[in-house]
Amino acid sequence: MNDQSLDKLIEALLEGDQARAVAEASILRNASIDNEVLINQGIEKAMGLLDTKCTLEQFNLLEIMLVGRAVMGVIKTLYPDFPPIATRGTAVIASLEGDVHDLGKNIVKTIMSAKGYRVVDCGKDCPVEKLVDAAVREGAVIIAISGLITSIVPLVRQVVPLARTRGVTKVKVLAGGAALKQATADLLNVDYVADSVFDGIRFLELPREEIR
Amino acid sequence: MNSLDRIQAALSFGKPDRVPVIAQVFGHAAVLSDVSLGAYVRDGELLANCQLKALSRYGYDAVFALMDSGVETEAVGSSLTYRTDMYPYVEQYAIADAREVDKFSMPDPRRSGRMPEVLKAAQVLRRELQDEVLIVGCVLGPMTLAMQLMGPEKTLFLAADEPDLFAGVLDFALEVAVSFGLAQIEAGAHLPLVFDPSASPAVIPPQFFREFVLPRTKRLFSALKSGGSFANWLHIAGPAEAIFPFYPEAGVDIANFDYCIDPLRARQILPRTCLDGNIKPLSFVEATPNDIAEDSASLLELFSPHGGLILSSGCEIPLEAKTENVVAMVRAPHARS
Repeated sequence: MNDQSLDKLIEALLEGDQARAVAEASILRNASIDNEVLINQGIEKAMGLLDTKCTLEQFNLLEIMLVGRAVMGVIKTLYPDFPPIATRGTAVIASLEGDVHDLGKNIVKTIMSAKGYRVVDCGKDCPVEKLVDAAVREGAVIIAISGLITSIVPLVRQVVPLARTRGVTKVKVLAGGAALKQATADLLNVDYVADSVFDGIRFLELPREEIR
Repeated sequence: MNSLDRIQAALSFGKPDRVPVIAQVFGHAAVLSDVSLGAYVRDGELLANCQLKALSRYGYDAVFALMDSGVETEAVGSSLTYRTDMYPYVEQYAIADAREVDKFSMPDPRRSGRMPEVLKAAQVLRRELQDEVLIVGCVLGPMTLAMQLMGPEKTLFLAADEPDLFAGVLDFALEVAVSFGLAQIEAGAHLPLVFDPSASPAVIPPQFFREFVLPRTKRLFSALKSGGSFANWLHIAGPAEAIFPFYPEAGVDIANFDYCIDPLRARQILPRTCLDGNIKPLSFVEATPNDIAEDSASLLELFSPHGGLILSSGCEIPLEAKTENVVAMVRAPHARS
């Protein structure tokens, strides 16, 4: 396979053009290119380029949403009946009780799914207990919390201690969102405060270690 | 000098007796008065009384006839959920299909939803404070109101997929903002703050702002100024630096700048626009009065020869802010005068 044969797919994905990305993926499949190649060398490459773009320039939710939608559209085309098996582990995600904003959370969910994580969405206005219960039930290796209001800070601090009492010790806890980004990981009692979804994913891809 | 004179001096880069300070105390005023937020955002008189008590407690230069970001969308037809201890939020968005935006009638600020209560708050505050303290109302900017009318994801996808339809929703939002803003001025507000966090470059690219939001913000400010607004105050929180260069064209007199923006950079980009900011909101909860005093002193020092500063938080003072931290910011300019 020519290295350039996926360029049009990657370009369409980066432009957030779902219709064109799906069309390009269909053309490549008809040319007998494996789904695995399309995922690993097409979608993965596009996500990597988006990551670089978000690191170098100021990212905005609109562009990330459009790329995320295009990626999910291609994945649905490649796997119409069953989604591909998530290989990078399970994440549970929520906006905590009192916080009803979920735009940021939904974007994180889309991008993490596109990157190969299985994401269990506990929704917005979610009690800490419900989030930790979901982490236990689903065997999560990641708990991700999105927050747009400062009043949830005390709730964020409860997540790690509650997870410990429930025997969850090998989970990484991440926080992000406009309000939580104002705080340090120590203040929130989490492993990492992510500046963006890609910053969070980079942290997750570091070697796994036990919860503090 | 009274507060209005002081703010006027900051606006014109003159010499106020001290730098004006506006703590963005909205729902925190309810917490101070031991009133539930659910009641505060539904009763204009109660809101005004809480604001007056907060003013008396802190002694800053502006009060706010401001409820929450659900007032306009509720008046158009969205259903909101109210709770005792948090701001209401949209349960069901008014506009399900952007093609139907023409069928929606404009809300009447004197009759629709809680708009009359906002007007009542402005009226009570003006009656009590006259022209001594700045009375600030609030309208949502077109981008934020569009999202509140349709839901954020739907609005953003519409903007990308069907820009003409999206522009129709923005135009409707603009009309609502003009009508509500003018009614607030008539009721007693010196100015309606234009709150448009969804227009931040964190949400939409700057070129999108320039194409869709800027022309409508310009029209909004032009209408408000013609209606007697004391000044045009634009509040876009977050990393808004990339759109600052558009502010003079939009007619912005006061630009909010959030904690994540370098004050010096903001001043360089907007050398003749009065800036309000930019103490980190979370610091009012987590830091000490000394920390706040130091941050305030740095800002005051930085703007000292130049002028054009209203000392403030980068965004809303959190509901759970420590009072001593708000006091520390309010006192900071007094210490230098």
